[in-house]
Amino acid sequence: MQDFLINQWNNFTNSFYRNFIEDSRWTYLTSGLINTLLITLGALVVGVVLGFAIAMIRTTHDRTGKLGFLNAIAKLYLTVIRGTPVVVQLMIIYFGIFASVQINAVLVAIIAFGLNSAAYVAEIFRSGIMSIDPGQMEAGRSLGLNYSQTTWKIIMPQALKNVLPALGNEMITLLKETSVAGYIGLRDLTKGGDLIRSRTFAAFMPLLAVAAVYLILVLGLQYLVGKMERRLGKSDRR
Amino acid sequence: MKLKKLLAAFLAAALCISLVSCGETDSGSSTPESSAESSVSETSDTESSATEESSSEDTAAEDPTAVLTDAKIGVQLGTTGDLYISENIADGLLGSAEIIQYNKGMEAVLALTQGKVDAVVIDNEPAKVFVEENEGLKILDTAYTEEDYAICIAKDNTELKDQFNQAIAELKEDGTLQQLLDYYINGVEGATPYESPEGITYDGKLIMATNAEFPPYEYHDSSSGQDEICGLDVDFARAICDKLGKELEVSDMAFDSIIAAVQSGKADFGAAGMTVTEDRLESIDFTDSYCTGVQVVIVKE
Repeated sequence: MQDFLINQWNNFTNSFYRNFIEDSRWTYLTSGLINTLLITLGALVVGVVLGFAIAMIRTTHDRTGKLGFLNAIAKLYLTVIRGTPVVVQLMIIYFGIFASVQINAVLVAIIAFGLNSAAYVAEIFRSGIMSIDPGQMEAGRSLGLNYSQTTWKIIMPQALKNVLPALGNEMITLLKETSVAGYIGLRDLTKGGDLIRSRTFAAFMPLLAVAAVYLILVLGLQYLVGKMERRLGKSDRR
Repeated sequence: MKLKKLLAAFLAAALCISLVSCGETDSGSSTPESSAESSVSETSDTESSATEESSSEDTAAEDPTAVLTDAKIGVQLGTTGDLYISENIADGLLGSAEIIQYNKGMEAVLALTQGKVDAVVIDNEPAKVFVEENEGLKILDTAYTEEDYAICIAKDNTELKDQFNQAIAELKEDGTLQQLLDYYINGVEGATPYESPEGITYDGKLIMATNAEFPPYEYHDSSSGQDEICGLDVDFARAICDKLGKELEVSDMAFDSIIAAVQSGKADFGAAGMTVTEDRLESIDFTDSYCTGVQVVIVKE
């Protein structure tokens, strides 16, 4: 029994050494992690800004009937982006749209994931804004505020609080979706694990390490979102 | 009202960005030329200082090491090209060269045609197909490395390995291997692919792990109306299995999963134009080599 355990332990340490220490293979993971974080953060910014703009167009159209043309474009955008897989979009952007342009692969990934995320964020924001009772708008207007003042000062603060959990969810999804970025030849965290696998031909340990790093990142995100929710929920009646 | 102004500004910004990117397309298409020029001048520098035998600029442009120095090199993840180039870059043999690993050899070549990489290092046979399919590409005459191809078998399965080695020896002897090499690689007229002897009965089956994106060793062929995996490795493996009285089953997977599949017993052996390397020998056993592969460099003409 003891021999068996010692043997297992030796196997484990050997495998650990081969997969991470030898030839400093752990650097594949760290450099991949940096790219993953860069892509996620960049895509998050693009997604939230663009998604918010689309949500504003859609809700303004729904509430007031204005901006019909822009609304049609936004709807088309949502249909196309939500109707196709993100890997395909990524490759179309890298090998198709930026075919003749020399552009950093990380930037391509930020654009692709940002555009993709924007479609989902737009619907999240829209659901949040539409969830606010129309009476709030009426009350604001009858107090003498104009449409945009009411939107920004009365509707938005309430809507943002409502969408925060869904937005956090989208952030987590986005982080994990970036794992396909390796398709365009850049090294993200998953590709870092693949690189180790292609060198050591061991499947278990590199994949487990990659999974653990993603899990830790998501736990961190969850903590931040939870903290923000608590902070924004201070004024709630309960 | 404010929203309209905002939108107008947003649209104007989008327009500007698209205009700028259109302008960049022009400059982008000129960049590869200028970078090619600079790499040529650099290669002649290194040539005059480092290489002894070559003196004319023509041979310098044909020398793989000189071409690859300080270049962006595209490879397929986990292939020998990837391993060699990574190692050489780590050892500082290729200057400030940068390696970009694509999931498929085809994608690396696509990136080369678009100027995203300066050269692709890949096996000779698929390289020929890629160059044939894409205009404006060429293979450097001098090979980057040469290597032995073999079939991989799990370390604890010495019995199967011995059987395979015997079968390979017999197939070399009776000319079957030569027939396959003639048909798939040398393109000899009148050569035929392998066909199982008639009336053969099988006792059990062997699963072969491969990555069918590596013509002419293994590739998907739908010319007969249904999709099947064929190629030199598949035919050769079928010939071996016929010798052993086993039925062959081909399992297509990513190249870097093959060794793991054979190790874990999901497949009995792996045949995918696989080179015998020290690293691989640590995790898996190889049969005797059945043919020689060459790593070549593809560049733009």
